[in-house]
Amino acid sequence: MRPLMAIEIPTRPDQLPTTAPRFVGKAVKRIEDPALVSGTVEFIDNLSLPGMLHCAILRSPHPHARIVSIDTTAALSLEGVEAVLTGDDVARWCAPGITAPEGWGNYCMAVGKVRFVGEPVVAVAAASRYIAEDALELVQVEYELLPPVANPDEAMAPGAPLVFEDRGTNVIQSRSYTWGDIDRVFAEADRVVSRKFRWNRVGANPTETFGCICQWDLADNSLTCRGAYQTPRFMALGRAASLKLPANKVKVISHAQGGGFGGKGGPRGTDIAALLSRKTNGRPVKYIEDRIEYLLAGGGQSWDRYYEAALAVKADGTVTGFRVRLVDDQGAGAEGYGTISAAKPLAAFTGNYRIEAAFYDMTLVATNRAPTYPYRGYGPPPHNLVLESLMDIAARELAVDPAELRRRNYIRPEQFPYTVPSGNEYDSGNYAAVHDRVLEMADYQALRKAQAKARAEGRLVGIGVVSTVEPGVFDWNAYATVGVPGVGVPEGVKVAVDILGNVTVAVGFNLQGQGQFTVAAQVVADYLGVDMNSVRVATASTDVAMPHFGQGGSRLGVAVSGAILGACDKLRQTFSRVVAHLMHAEPEQVELIDGRLQLKHAPEHGMSVAEVAGVMLARSDLLPPGVEPCPEATYVWTAPNRNLPDDQGRCRSYLTAANATHVVQVEIDRDTGQVTIPAYFIVDDCGTRLNPASVEGQLQGGVAQGVGAALYEEYVYDAQCQPLVSTFVDYLVPTIHEVPMTTKDHLVTPSPVAPLGAKGCGEGAIHTTPAALLCAINDALSPLGREILETPASPHRLWKVLHGPCA
Amino acid sequence: MTTKQQIRVTVNGTPYVREVEARLTLADFLRHELHLGGTHVGCEHGICGACTILIDGRSARSCLTLAVQADGASITTVEGLRNRETGHLHPIQQSFVDAHGLQCGFCTPGFMMTTLELLNENPSPSDDEIKEALGGNLCRCTGYQGILDSVRLAASRLRTAQDA
Repeated sequence: MRPLMAIEIPTRPDQLPTTAPRFVGKAVKRIEDPALVSGTVEFIDNLSLPGMLHCAILRSPHPHARIVSIDTTAALSLEGVEAVLTGDDVARWCAPGITAPEGWGNYCMAVGKVRFVGEPVVAVAAASRYIAEDALELVQVEYELLPPVANPDEAMAPGAPLVFEDRGTNVIQSRSYTWGDIDRVFAEADRVVSRKFRWNRVGANPTETFGCICQWDLADNSLTCRGAYQTPRFMALGRAASLKLPANKVKVISHAQGGGFGGKGGPRGTDIAALLSRKTNGRPVKYIEDRIEYLLAGGGQSWDRYYEAALAVKADGTVTGFRVRLVDDQGAGAEGYGTISAAKPLAAFTGNYRIEAAFYDMTLVATNRAPTYPYRGYGPPPHNLVLESLMDIAARELAVDPAELRRRNYIRPEQFPYTVPSGNEYDSGNYAAVHDRVLEMADYQALRKAQAKARAEGRLVGIGVVSTVEPGVFDWNAYATVGVPGVGVPEGVKVAVDILGNVTVAVGFNLQGQGQFTVAAQVVADYLGVDMNSVRVATASTDVAMPHFGQGGSRLGVAVSGAILGACDKLRQTFSRVVAHLMHAEPEQVELIDGRLQLKHAPEHGMSVAEVAGVMLARSDLLPPGVEPCPEATYVWTAPNRNLPDDQGRCRSYLTAANATHVVQVEIDRDTGQVTIPAYFIVDDCGTRLNPASVEGQLQGGVAQGVGAALYEEYVYDAQCQPLVSTFVDYLVPTIHEVPMTTKDHLVTPSPVAPLGAKGCGEGAIHTTPAALLCAINDALSPLGREILETPASPHRLWKVLHGPCA
Repeated sequence: MTTKQQIRVTVNGTPYVREVEARLTLADFLRHELHLGGTHVGCEHGICGACTILIDGRSARSCLTLAVQADGASITTVEGLRNRETGHLHPIQQSFVDAHGLQCGFCTPGFMMTTLELLNENPSPSDDEIKEALGGNLCRCTGYQGILDSVRLAASRLRTAQDA
């Protein structure tokens, strides 16, 4: 038997088997777009199935209450209503959702009691959504109110009411990490700057809410779920667990999604629609979450955080230690993996800096707010805001320019690969060069002069200079110490060449906006030497797809490239054996270049990829022994060289470390507290830019979400835990008027370890923008001796800082 | 609620006569009765603008309009942009593709319909005028920069086409 040949994944574009890449690295038009601008993409609500019913969900108006009785008689007798689902059905058929850490899960509908406003209580399947909603009005629910647990202080008070009685506490998790000699560096510091910060809850809010169509096959006892699913296989496993089905009896078909940003996937809505299908003898049931439902209880609410943090600083400005205590309000349980986002900062705890020691204490608390889910960035946006704000405060106390203080502390280019105290290894970068480039582009000195002039006129103008590292290509090992043990995140594809040389790439995920189908087509077209329009990218359903995760963790562009490169290398090796056999040569004598497999010593002898595929599919008599008639290959990529964490969470977790420095200028209106952003500059370095236009889109989109989080967006709850935000009138997603049109440039330090040298780049801007804006705002406020350490720095909050008593 | 009313509408040049419930929204009518799924629904409160269409040339929120209110009207949706004869994208559509004016594409039909109204009325809008026109459409992906570029490009292409 032939020894298996190693699969080689190029780490540079110039290693692709092409004279010069035609697509990789170019701002090519996206293959996704013609259908999207035509309005023909099949978002889930565009699909109808024969016999389909429509689901509407009655949700709890109370944050905490025992359900005394539910009367659905009148609803069931309404014409057009086919089934009603309550907690009794759910208790009979389901298990509570899987959570991290385990044991903090809810059922998909309230069983016995409700734990947050918006929790599903009753669901109806009817001939139309209109009738289903009519039926909800006929349902009678009697509640016995329980005292709400409104915030972490209340939750941790002695004798507090319990959100989950069986847990005996409202503390979901509490642990600390110590990295280095933290007590010594703080004892030896010339200066310690410390503050408390409050980051209020924000969320993903894609323009498309969640939706699904579920169909239970009663003969086979299996389930098919079509819908807006971000991580299809993960979703299938979760549904199998909650619906008590074997995992191979749940099939998830992921449709194109109108944005995701974390938390797209609606496990509760899926389970409810599935159970209604089960109750209606297997009719398909569609559930489309509306915006009120999304805002009350959908996936994507994140980061409800209280921080106390301190920096240890030497007189020369060297930062030596960083201490953080976090209390995170998780809401009603741990169902959405919002909990573990508190651990994401471990991947870049000390940012861009050579900080030698750090300490992190985190306490995750259950309250009667809605459960939290992942949101783009998954934890670092608030963490970076804390670190960068303290850097600015230290600079003010030392009377050093804040940009200069950062520059003195950057990890130096020659120190890569660099292991941060919290354990992760940064692959590469040149932080000072990025910093210098953006300061030059912004003409930083001119901005400071303009600021001095404005201050002399009594105006409140501020400048923020903030640098961050974006951990890219997430790995489960980053979360092993908080309840998700594992190393590696498989992402698989199948690359198939047909008899005419067209190529199909089958992936396990669907469109969400980032442009990964285009990246896939770019990579495969350059590798196999075909045109991009000869490539089709197709989504495989979970029952046949290779292991995959899909979008999440600034990972997919890199991961899918790695998988395609692996599959293409397998194809190259097989094709070389076929060509060698036909040409009486050895496979090692055959090379692939520009879509042609040819003899290295006699390049005039060769065959195109299409010709080889044709031979394989149609002339088995010509194939060498042992070669299958199959011009297709699968490959499942995961980041190389990952390891298990130690007891302090230290491991090589995220594969890549992109970085950026943002420079922003703001002005605050004294009379209204309104912040305007006259200028915004970004220089980033995410290694090889597979599609520069898509990278810029990711940056600018992250800026917009960062503007929202820093200035406008907030899930407001009152003291009784009633949400005060339920429409886009209240939850203020920035419009074109609020988002600055940024000036951008970039440097390229290719990753030495990632496919094609590309680094994850989907989250860097939202990691940076909130910190940059808050630093700029506090810079503007500093002459007044006032500061704001709470987000969003909304007009009313800033007005109170401006006009209230001095702190 | 089950009383139905007859309406006559012209959508993208095609006349329809349908019996609809008085409470049926125009968005649901277009999407689920006429199967024109390109008009998307993002909030149902008239805030996000994803469902924007043109009614007799004026932009309107189809989520806040009842189908019966459109009786007698001429409606244009995103499906009406592409040239039916040639299959070519409308210059606005092509500009959104070329200038990377979209990511997930869910809000895009609404942005393009708003842009169509703007450029019909003002072929040479300034950036401020573009922002004013698009201020009622929310995009969560792009940060609007690609959208602004797309509208500028579309305006320039439409002017060139008109001059030719």
